[in-house]
Amino acid sequence: MSAFDATELPLDNTADTATEQYDPAHDYHALNAMLNLYDADGRIQFDKDKAAEREYVTGHVAANTVKFDGTAERLEYLTGNQYYDPAVFAQYSPEFLDRFYARAAASGFEFGTFLGAFKFYTSYALKTFDGKRYLEDFPQRCAAVALELAAGDEGEAVRFLDAMISGEFQPATPTFLNLGKAQRGEPVSCFLVRIEDNMESISRGINAALQLSKRGGGVALLLSNLRELGAPIKHIENQSSGVIPVMKLLEDSFSYANQLGARQGAGAVYLNAHHPDILRFLDTKRENADEKIRIKSLALGVVIPDVTFELAKRKAPMALFSPYDVERVYGKPFADISVTEHYDEMVADDRIRKTYIDAREFFTTLAEIQFESGYPYIVFEDTVNRANPIEGRVTMSNLCSEILQVQEASEYNEDLTYSHVGRDVSCNLGSLNIAKAMDAGLASTVETAIRALTAVAEHTRIDAVPSIRRANDEGHAIGLGQMNLHGFLAREGIQYGSEEGLDFTDMYFMTVAYHAYRASHALAVEKGRAFASFPSSAYAKPAGEGNYFDKYTDGRRSLEPCTERVRELFAKFGVAIPTADDWKALQAEIIRDGIYNQNLQAVPPTGSISYINHSTSSIHPIASKIEIRKEGKIGRVYYPAAYMTNDNLDYYRDAYEIGWKAIVDTYAEATQHVDQGLSLTLFFPDTATTRDLNKAQIYAWRKGIKTLYYIRIRQQALAGTEVQGCVSCML
Amino acid sequence: MPPISIPRKPLKLIDRVSAINWNRLEDEKDLEVWDRLTGNFWLPEKVPVSNDIPSWQKMSEDEHVLTMHVFTGLTLLDTIQGTVGAVSLIPDALTPHEEAVYTNIAFMESVHAKSYSSIFSTLCSTKEIDAAFDWSENNEFLQKKAQIVLDYYEGDNPYKRKVASTLLESFLFYSGFYLPMYFSAHAKLTNTADVIRLIIRDEAVHGYYIGYKYQKGIERLTDAEREELREYTYDLLNELYDNEVDYTESLYERVGLTDDVEKFLRYNGNKALMNLGYPALFPAEACDVNPAILAALSPNADENHDFFSGSGSSYVMGKAEETDDEDWDF
Repeated sequence: MSAFDATELPLDNTADTATEQYDPAHDYHALNAMLNLYDADGRIQFDKDKAAEREYVTGHVAANTVKFDGTAERLEYLTGNQYYDPAVFAQYSPEFLDRFYARAAASGFEFGTFLGAFKFYTSYALKTFDGKRYLEDFPQRCAAVALELAAGDEGEAVRFLDAMISGEFQPATPTFLNLGKAQRGEPVSCFLVRIEDNMESISRGINAALQLSKRGGGVALLLSNLRELGAPIKHIENQSSGVIPVMKLLEDSFSYANQLGARQGAGAVYLNAHHPDILRFLDTKRENADEKIRIKSLALGVVIPDVTFELAKRKAPMALFSPYDVERVYGKPFADISVTEHYDEMVADDRIRKTYIDAREFFTTLAEIQFESGYPYIVFEDTVNRANPIEGRVTMSNLCSEILQVQEASEYNEDLTYSHVGRDVSCNLGSLNIAKAMDAGLASTVETAIRALTAVAEHTRIDAVPSIRRANDEGHAIGLGQMNLHGFLAREGIQYGSEEGLDFTDMYFMTVAYHAYRASHALAVEKGRAFASFPSSAYAKPAGEGNYFDKYTDGRRSLEPCTERVRELFAKFGVAIPTADDWKALQAEIIRDGIYNQNLQAVPPTGSISYINHSTSSIHPIASKIEIRKEGKIGRVYYPAAYMTNDNLDYYRDAYEIGWKAIVDTYAEATQHVDQGLSLTLFFPDTATTRDLNKAQIYAWRKGIKTLYYIRIRQQALAGTEVQGCVSCML
Repeated sequence: MPPISIPRKPLKLIDRVSAINWNRLEDEKDLEVWDRLTGNFWLPEKVPVSNDIPSWQKMSEDEHVLTMHVFTGLTLLDTIQGTVGAVSLIPDALTPHEEAVYTNIAFMESVHAKSYSSIFSTLCSTKEIDAAFDWSENNEFLQKKAQIVLDYYEGDNPYKRKVASTLLESFLFYSGFYLPMYFSAHAKLTNTADVIRLIIRDEAVHGYYIGYKYQKGIERLTDAEREELREYTYDLLNELYDNEVDYTESLYERVGLTDDVEKFLRYNGNKALMNLGYPALFPAEACDVNPAILAALSPNADENHDFFSGSGSSYVMGKAEETDDEDWDF
């Protein structure tokens, strides 16, 4: 997951010259900070940030980098001293490696910003074991990643290398950080694990939290199936203590497994809105919650079915159902029942214990907690399952709310061994820089990215959690993401969220989807097999009979741009938009041969990688013209939006100015073409009330948005207390 | 906090109390500031300071000592402001709502004072903590600073109390605030800096509000009285500034940051004067603070963070408002 910003095993122990001696002329931190202060003429000092980048790279980094006489000598040293994995490099001839590294070096790569360079060297670059010297620059990191991904295929290695150095494709942090190294964590780091209503499953869930955190992963767990506070245990009433104590156990597990102290583990838990513990679950995030129940570092997500909205609309009470009783009546776990479909039936069934809350008050409470803590995330359960092409049920999402895959419950023996290995989720991600991908003509970039992500899935084997290993072996699920939408639109003189902006988003994501499916089909043909559950998926259904691609082939929507500007834009970059005939041909081929990847696209929030790549995050609008980035290991650093100059500032309205509606509209365009989810953060000024948050949530649900990620509130300094001349303080 | 060894005079309290009616405001500013302060409510437990332990362990002995001295100094000031300062302003309040705002200020100052203890207990040993508090008892400049401010709180002139209070909130704290801002700009103790930034967010509003009330108050005075107060303000600032320079040297000389901290003092001295409605004392070129510090100061809640980096200083208490049928019309 690319927002896993701090998958940082190797600690940077190089001497930070700027800290040791305060010297304004060479203090790259001070130069970088000047980005946040206007110059005497009221202009943003972009040149100071570039100066900070140069000062840092040519000064600090150059002085602390180990020098080698050539590629052969360098690789011999690194593979011989347990820095690089010798098996990766043994797949290639020394002559090829010489040419390959010469090609990387000839790129003349420079970072776009100080933060990009600083983030790369502190968190990604290989360092000597004492942490004092750098052993890699950015092109060399790309080279090591490309060589491992290509597994000996020289042509493929060159394509991966070029796509990464040019910035068209950027693998997510775990992949980019780890590949090629001898001492490393897993190249994937996003996991989703179900918990069932029994002690064995809870123990396995905690084990997954520990084991996956140790490997650098972020883990989401499903709590919806757990019996509620006061439910019976062995038929004795009032025995269970509900979901909160399990949350506490998980939170402590995540902070225990902290990767050599480099960072704490991170986890999320999801609960269905109709679970009886839902209000207690939300209250754990209250500012004044009791220490015994307060949840500080665990992320929360709520799974909301359509019926909750209908109840709120009718001002009806909202029934919460005992998962213990539901499982006994229906013979399956609560999460595997559609609450919307069975609502009236469950209300009428006396065998199911119910408590009632006010549906509208539920939404108010939800928004109150979001104000205080930014949580919970929201999964619109029915929207997600209607759009899901794979047989089975999606019951939760992950730490960034973009992974949406079916799971299957595992069953355990008393000694915690598996009597049935179900399916859980691991996902590896990588994102295209929309601007760079358009510049390069898009089609081949998408194919390269799909192949790179598939290579990661194939090299992954999570033995610690067998249900994850099984699902990865059978499904090879990947998540192709996108970033720099705002940067690209601004560069082309289009406002984010405008008619043209929406039109571009629609056309771009459709074209990406086409090439992604084309590439996954090609992989299925090359490997001679599709993902395991392909035959029962909507991809395999006959054309016109509920096939996933019918929406592109049956004429229900136009496949052409609706604005002249966007038509011109695609023509200018030589990017062909797929026609209904293209889709029909692809549909027929896929029905015949299948696709290799069970899931293909997921749009993550992109933290660190968009800084290194100098993109705007994901497909969000910018949070600020000059963003203040605070990270544990870096401190406060200032980051200018991609392609921004003093002359095009009008196109860089920030997310608070643009407002939630334009963001939801943009995501709605993209959502139609993405098989999984998209991390969607909503931004509000502090003058907003819970009602404004509720309105945005209702609107998002109605527009077919699948999930909502953080809520962010911006508070302006009280007039009279702001810092003068500060860029990020200006509205 | 060991007691400050100066005899305390009893504080004057208000003479009569009438029920406060928030529906009848005499000064809109009271409600605006009340809403801001309550919306900004926070407790130190919110910030995972323990994430700073690895960073703390990598810092030098000198840096440790400096940090602890700075924070004990801040603890003393916040204790004064919480138990004496803000409370002493209540009898002079012009409106009942102003009294209510001071009670909030007093409480938050106590939260601030407690925050430093919570930082200490997370990062240092009891022995180190005791040593630092001993130091604060024996640092003459720190004691003098406390003495000067306390004297004015106990004096008879309500306007002078407000001046002293504003200078405390907007000026005297900042020699201490400099350090965590400097560290955080250089990737050290970044979660501790979050706590301090929350404190700065509060102090910025406190200084602004007390200064505003001062300006409202002296509108009723004669020109001669106003002139006297103006002179008094500049004299007091100068007196405090001279002491503050000595205090700064006693703290920062060892790490070579004295010059930069002094620029920062002058910058904030000017801000304090601005809050009181007076022109700047120090010329702009004497106040060119290290931009990393200035940028780090911004009390805005617009920094971006993720779940690995602590909770940041950006969340606020929300205003609940019910949805109505129109919102659910679909």
